[in-house]
Amino acid sequence: MTVAAGIGYALIALGPSLSLFVAVISKKPFLILTVLSSTLLWLISLIVLSGIWRAFLPLKSTTWWPFALLIISSVGFQEGLRVLFWKVYKRLEDTLDAFADRVGKPRLFLTDKMQIALAGGLGHGVAHAVFFCLSLLTPAFGPATFYVDRCPQMPFFLISAIIALAFVTIHTFSMVIAFNGYAEGNTTDQYFVPVVHLVAGMVVKSAFARCFCLLSQKFSLLRILFLIVLKNCQLSPETALVVFVWLNVLCHACSF
Amino acid sequence: MKAMAVRPLLLFFFFAQVRLSFSGELSSMESIPDLQESMYMVVDGYPCVRLLNLSGKIGCSNPGREKVVASIRRFRNANDLTQLTAVLVSLDELQDLLHRHFGLIGFSPTQKFPQAEFAPYPSINYEWNSMGSGIMLKAYDFPVFLLSESSTSMLQEVADKNEKVMNGYTTSVAEFDLVMQTTKAGTHDSESCLKEQTCLPLGGYSVWSSLPPINMSLSYQSKPIILLVASMDSASFFRDKSLGADSPISGLLSLLAAVDALSRVDGWNDLNKQLVFLVLTGEAWGYLGSRRFLHELDMQSDGVSGLNSSLIEMVSSAVNDALDALKRAQDSLKSENIEVLSSNSSNPGIPPSSLMAFLKKNSLTSGIVLEDFDTAFTNKFYHSHLDDMANINSSAVVAAASLIARSLYILASDNNDMHSSVLGAINVNTSLVEELMGCLLSCKPGLSCEMVKNYIAPANVCPSHYVGVVIGEPSFKPYLGYVDDVSRFVWNFLADRTSTPKENASSSCSKDCTNEDEVCIRAEINGKGVCVISTTRYVPAYSTRLMFESGIWNVLPPNSSDSMGSVDPVWTESNWNTIGLRVYTIQNGAYDHFILIGGITVTILAYFMIALARSLITKALKRD
Repeated sequence: MTVAAGIGYALIALGPSLSLFVAVISKKPFLILTVLSSTLLWLISLIVLSGIWRAFLPLKSTTWWPFALLIISSVGFQEGLRVLFWKVYKRLEDTLDAFADRVGKPRLFLTDKMQIALAGGLGHGVAHAVFFCLSLLTPAFGPATFYVDRCPQMPFFLISAIIALAFVTIHTFSMVIAFNGYAEGNTTDQYFVPVVHLVAGMVVKSAFARCFCLLSQKFSLLRILFLIVLKNCQLSPETALVVFVWLNVLCHACSF
Repeated sequence: MKAMAVRPLLLFFFFAQVRLSFSGELSSMESIPDLQESMYMVVDGYPCVRLLNLSGKIGCSNPGREKVVASIRRFRNANDLTQLTAVLVSLDELQDLLHRHFGLIGFSPTQKFPQAEFAPYPSINYEWNSMGSGIMLKAYDFPVFLLSESSTSMLQEVADKNEKVMNGYTTSVAEFDLVMQTTKAGTHDSESCLKEQTCLPLGGYSVWSSLPPINMSLSYQSKPIILLVASMDSASFFRDKSLGADSPISGLLSLLAAVDALSRVDGWNDLNKQLVFLVLTGEAWGYLGSRRFLHELDMQSDGVSGLNSSLIEMVSSAVNDALDALKRAQDSLKSENIEVLSSNSSNPGIPPSSLMAFLKKNSLTSGIVLEDFDTAFTNKFYHSHLDDMANINSSAVVAAASLIARSLYILASDNNDMHSSVLGAINVNTSLVEELMGCLLSCKPGLSCEMVKNYIAPANVCPSHYVGVVIGEPSFKPYLGYVDDVSRFVWNFLADRTSTPKENASSSCSKDCTNEDEVCIRAEINGKGVCVISTTRYVPAYSTRLMFESGIWNVLPPNSSDSMGSVDPVWTESNWNTIGLRVYTIQNGAYDHFILIGGITVTILAYFMIALARSLITKALKRD
């Protein structure tokens, strides 16, 4: 597939996160630190998970429940880690607020807190994309391409790049929703995030998922996520519509 | 046909059909290397390589330094070709093509009179090999591979899929890696390539053994010698698929079986004459083995000490004696339907064989060539990859071996009133012949059969009788890693059979034996090496026009005393880095650029969305 296609796949998976980084995160050094530490934390969590599961792999693909167990345990571990992340963040927030009080500067605004949550989520998304997609891309720079039997319309690398893109978006916004949920004590939001994560994970690994099914389900989840975020941001209906339209364009673009 | 005029075709040949399917199953992969392996399918096939001689080149090579990548089509669909294509051709289609366009018939790819320039008679237009097309001796600037059975069906599927999926996005291509060093270095004949060290000369190691073993302590060897010669190398269009079952391995098998039969006879020391068995290699490429053997005999080299060339029967009555012996042997074998006949008098002389080298050296040499044909080859597959085990008959080999064994005994004993019981005791072991056929002419069991593994540790399982190249310096005591499997097996077999039993216990050895009269057989098998009394030696086989000096091969100018050397083409084989063939799917160039543009678009679009969202959020916050 050559270098051009390889770069293309890498950009599809991580381009929007790069744009987000340049547009929002790079303005504030604290957010850069948050992204880096968050990426590190989530990468370590994925490595620990794969280390634990290494003993049991490869799973025989005849029954579905070993896969379900794998997904549930991984998602559970990560969600537990997210709560831990929240607790650390809370402590950090208190420290920062105390420091702000001491020097007479204003405390953290809502937008600041949401930006920190966004940065945390971005770190999580990038960790996932690097771990699951970027490592697969090395063969994509060679001359050959690869099509999987279950999805013969698109090259395997394109599918994995699009799934990585979807996961980046899901994780980025999940963190915002989760932090918001923990802060306000909103249980629906608190439970919504793990459920979305779990469903997304199951969809990818499901043996019955065919190509388009897979991707459209991912993007439906994305649509729901976005609605929740927008509700939290209290944006006007016009902006919501704009974002919605963008998502729809993406969904249809992948069904060529 | 229009296709021939367009860009050069890259050919595959295939034969037979075996069902085998290929699928890209994701769940069986565990790592990135597994993914890479399933993306790139390695095809196992036998290449045709570049060989050179003093006046030019033959064989196949990639046209430049790069691998050749071409999409795969079947021959019958390859009508309008606009770009580089890899064509799958079956044997029948190829024969048809050669016949219709070039008027060539037959499955034998070599000349109609193989190695005519070495004939000791002038009629070089006589067609010994009437089915010869000569395609092996032409140069092709594109890669050609012979596919194995499993690869054939796999590639047929791929070609059919290419035909069906004409969407223009993806196509399956074959990547040929047949880059030859002589093409890269621009050396297009033997002399320049040997000087640049981009090629190596063809050659190997012949084996000779004497029965009974020669006593080296005797300063003067007086017994006249009867030489039984066979050849162990063949050639074909595809380097690694030269079996040569009918020609010449059937002769080798007869020789080995005859030696085995004669080894069970006692009293060789009391007979008037000495038998020497000589198995030559390199005969298919300019009689390298026989010429070099005769040269070393003249030079009285160490490796042929004990043999005096004047002792090889030059008596004019020797031929008649031999014919009589054959007749008597035939009579003693009356019960087995064996017949010996003189060849047709309309033949111009002896057929292409090692005896030609002996006759060119000394036209008074008495010799007989035993063949299974009369006026022309009956082997339709002479020097073809199709000359395999199915082409010969084990009972014919057994018959020839019996005849030879008994005739040799009659000649050696020189005794006119011999009891038929003595002759009747000389019998060839049929199961030995069958076992040897399985070992030397097929891949199952191939060289991992009991008999071969008893003597050597073979490097390959599938036997190939291509002579190969001379590695390192040729010597009479070569490093065994440079000697090919069949030569080593023949050496061990002959040494074992022609050995005289020792009075004391045999000592074990791993390389050489202390006693000059002894050799170490089974040396490669751990702990099984024994010293036996036998005269069995290696003789290097390479062109008499070449000399190895300080690490480089030099081509010597033609010498008037060496008439065969002046017509010797001096065959060499090009060096190469790797040879391989793999198949994978590629995407259209446009598709790749589409992906890149898609990635860039997604990134830029995301940037604008985020910028928009940010400004909207700031506006919303200001409102509050």
